[in-house]
Amino acid sequence: MNAENRVAIVGVPPLAVIRQLEAEGAEIIDLDMPVSGVSLERASHCLPKVYCAILRTVAANAISLRPRRIFIDIGRGKCDGAAHLATILRYALPDSEVIAVENHDRQPFSAPRCQTAMPLIDKMRAITASVTSSAAHPFFVPCRATAGFWGVPPRDFSLLEPFPDTTHVFGWARCMENKTPDNSELEEFFDPTVPTVFFAQSFCAKSALVRHLAARHPCALAVDSDVATSGSGQAKIQAFLELNGVR
Amino acid sequence: MLLADFGTSYVKLLDTAAGEPRLLATKDAVGITADVATGHNSLKRAKRSVNELTALAKGGGVLIAEDSYTLLDCGSRDIKFVRFEQGRVKDMGWNTECGASMGFTIELLARYYHLDYRTMTVPRRSFSVTCGVLGMSHIFDAVIEGASEAEAVARFIKGIALNAFVFAGSPEKLYLSGGLCDNPLFIQSFPGQVIPLGRFVLLTGLRALTAENGVFAP
Repeated sequence: MNAENRVAIVGVPPLAVIRQLEAEGAEIIDLDMPVSGVSLERASHCLPKVYCAILRTVAANAISLRPRRIFIDIGRGKCDGAAHLATILRYALPDSEVIAVENHDRQPFSAPRCQTAMPLIDKMRAITASVTSSAAHPFFVPCRATAGFWGVPPRDFSLLEPFPDTTHVFGWARCMENKTPDNSELEEFFDPTVPTVFFAQSFCAKSALVRHLAARHPCALAVDSDVATSGSGQAKIQAFLELNGVR
Repeated sequence: MLLADFGTSYVKLLDTAAGEPRLLATKDAVGITADVATGHNSLKRAKRSVNELTALAKGGGVLIAEDSYTLLDCGSRDIKFVRFEQGRVKDMGWNTECGASMGFTIELLARYYHLDYRTMTVPRRSFSVTCGVLGMSHIFDAVIEGASEAEAVARFIKGIALNAFVFAGSPEKLYLSGGLCDNPLFIQSFPGQVIPLGRFVLLTGLRALTAENGVFAP
């Protein structure tokens, strides 16, 4: 696969875009995910240092990889920051085609990985990887939830280490797997019967939703994290799970 | 069984067969290995390490009669709290960055300026302090501007207490854990009711955890 075939995505572009790229034989790269060897400092000349770590990751990856085309979701399924970033990347990468799209897909793909027994880090990796494919999800045996994780895939997946394999995933991560990122009803859904950690990236508008939903949940912990998971942040989650009898 | 709270400045030890807990300066507690421990240095110095927030919450469960309360632990290096409502953990926080070295700095200042916190009064004003280290510059500035060293340090301590109070959610009644329970100036600097539980709350939590059936089964 040569660099000419490399196409980047930000957020969850519409399924029609993914299908089009698959038909072209493109190599799809998810710029939201950290890329080995790419420093966040690469984003510092076009974004403030105190800013969403996911969007800084996108900028650093885009500047380092210089993909020929970048499809970036600027709709409600992503965030206002992505719309601003699209503007910035057009200036920063004049040789790249930055294509703003809005994903209003309503066809549910289901979210089997979110509800199966699997180490949560592996589960989240599988969910994020599924964004680059239009194929139907394989079957995953659902499990009974003993804990919940609500939110977006964190910038640093080590935040997910304390959770048991039987953690169900909610929030925007579930919308991702369902391929309906602009589905606020699904995003706001949670299971009130299991202890749930509500997570948002620091400086993300979703932190307001985190506080709101965590206050409505009978057994919740609201957390945020920036670039890397702090030891105290991970310890909070571990203690919350332990004190609620989650093994 | 030897239980330990390996703090940054002090080590708290409890031999469950002996009864009373002991306090050692961390720099003097070389070569001690505990069966079960908590604290910053517990991973290397114990057979089994327990999350500090878990130990704090368990200790609160033993020492506090109510089922709804906020318990704040102010240590040498960090501050952390747990809030329970009707017997269930409702919120918790652990500030290792912006609460850095508050307890350590308070002790350091007493030695440097030869102050006795038991004889000092709470000042009317306070500094805006979110970090022990960065907050010291307020003291130097105040002294330059004519405040006494005792007055400047007292304002600093009141600022720390207010910051810790807000961090814990500004409760009407606050249970306090940690070495600063022995500092009357610090306790009186809080705006609400403060009930000091002493510096062995985490050890109490460890003892409760070890007593729970199966918690530390191999």
